[in-house]
Amino acid sequence: MKKQPIIKCQNVTLAYGSQTVLKNVQLDIPPGVFLPFVGPNGAGKTTLLRALLGLVRPKSGQIITPFAQKAPGYVPQYKVIDPIYPVSVKHIVKMGLYPELQWWRRPSQSHKQRIDEALEKYSLTQHADKTFDCLSGGMKQKVMLARAFASGAEVFIMDEPTSELDDAAQHEVLEHLFDLTKKHKKTVLLAHHGIDNLVKWSQDICIVEHGQAAVVPTSEIYPRGSWLKKIKAKRAHAYE
Amino acid sequence: MNNVSMLLENFPHAVAGGFIIAAACSILGVFVILKRVVFIGVALSQVAAAGVAVSFVMAIHPYIGAALLTLVTVILLSYPFESHRISRDAILGIIFVVASALSILIVSKSGFGLHEVQALLYGDLIFTTPHDLIVIISVLIPVVLYLLMFLRPTVYTFIDREAAKVLKVKTSLWEFLFFVALGLTVSVSSRTAGALLVFCYLVVASSAGLMLSRRLGLVLIISTIAAFIATFTGMYLAVGYDLPTNHTIAASTCLLFAIACLPTLISWLKTTVPTPLSSRT
Repeated sequence: MKKQPIIKCQNVTLAYGSQTVLKNVQLDIPPGVFLPFVGPNGAGKTTLLRALLGLVRPKSGQIITPFAQKAPGYVPQYKVIDPIYPVSVKHIVKMGLYPELQWWRRPSQSHKQRIDEALEKYSLTQHADKTFDCLSGGMKQKVMLARAFASGAEVFIMDEPTSELDDAAQHEVLEHLFDLTKKHKKTVLLAHHGIDNLVKWSQDICIVEHGQAAVVPTSEIYPRGSWLKKIKAKRAHAYE
Repeated sequence: MNNVSMLLENFPHAVAGGFIIAAACSILGVFVILKRVVFIGVALSQVAAAGVAVSFVMAIHPYIGAALLTLVTVILLSYPFESHRISRDAILGIIFVVASALSILIVSKSGFGLHEVQALLYGDLIFTTPHDLIVIISVLIPVVLYLLMFLRPTVYTFIDREAAKVLKVKTSLWEFLFFVALGLTVSVSSRTAGALLVFCYLVVASSAGLMLSRRLGLVLIISTIAAFIATFTGMYLAVGYDLPTNHTIAASTCLLFAIACLPTLISWLKTTVPTPLSSRT
């Protein structure tokens, strides 16, 4: 039986001023999927994910999400955190608990346990007291993931979480993301540039191109995406 | 020792007011530096001076004029300004120039001498009156308490605004409240301690804290202690050697900042100065 969608976009048009980025987007995203949003630069992947997060208001149409009841786990690129801030890794991970702690509550034992679990899951326990600027790019990205994981979110939305990382770190982060779906049954939506390293992770891919967005099975993607065809052609030319 | 007792006996309001201003400005200053809006401190203190000048013309209390004009500026600055032609820094620069020129122009027609005009606009900490102290206590202590009480959402708003928004932190509210707190602090403090000293507390004392620690809580404590030490030392020297109080405190703060830089300087020298070949094994 087909699962009820957890996120729905109904005729959503997104625009910055008079410039339309995406037009009449229709998306049904079921729970527990690992769904990369791929497309060329400027196609509107990030804008669409920001709209799902509620950070961009649609020009028209409706976005239905469960985020009013439970905040999503948002994982931006680690560069959004200014390294000048004297905050520890633990401090940043604790931020994920804000919907429960608000400004007045002290973290309970179970909150502290959740922070420790998140740190342990991403191998950050020994770096917990280090300041954010002391870490490598891969580690910083894992701190962003640990913060989202500590929040206990059901849906994780990520903006190119691997774009600034080397191959090994990229692979490690993608493995962690896929693990969220596979082991923890979470829904993972991520904007992503590459495609080759996603083929083995996801059954479906959301292609964002030419002002449109559509979910297609990964197996069908090569013949459909004109942008991907270009990449394939370029690669073939390079190998000649 | 005589100077200390003379200072405490003759200028108790100046010492108390100085300490409260030092604490409020150095704590807010940490966030001003981290948020990279240092120039807002200079611009707001000049706006406060312009507010004092306008108060003379309109025959209202200088504190009210300074606070009102500063708050209006803060509200205007908190409006999300988008332009590809001029940056927010440039706008702050324009505000600074307009406020500086306006304050002098307005008061120059008042019949006061230049020295009196400067004293009226920029204040002198040593002449803090009991009335000034009441205003300082009733504005700055609630400001500090507000910031410490709402430290968590304020810090989250500043370190990662979008993630904070997703986590249901009311980022626009906390940012607006921070700038209102900053505006109130700068307007009240500038009237008593002068623009230079307020800017010095905001930037130099806070920088000393940031040089000595990488823990936010400790940074706030160290910045406040540095501002306290500089205030007391500056007042002591000013009274003892007949020096201008605000400038002596500012110089003491800068000296403390230089001392706070020493550990970083030493470790930098250790890592960058090459070892002589003769001592290498």
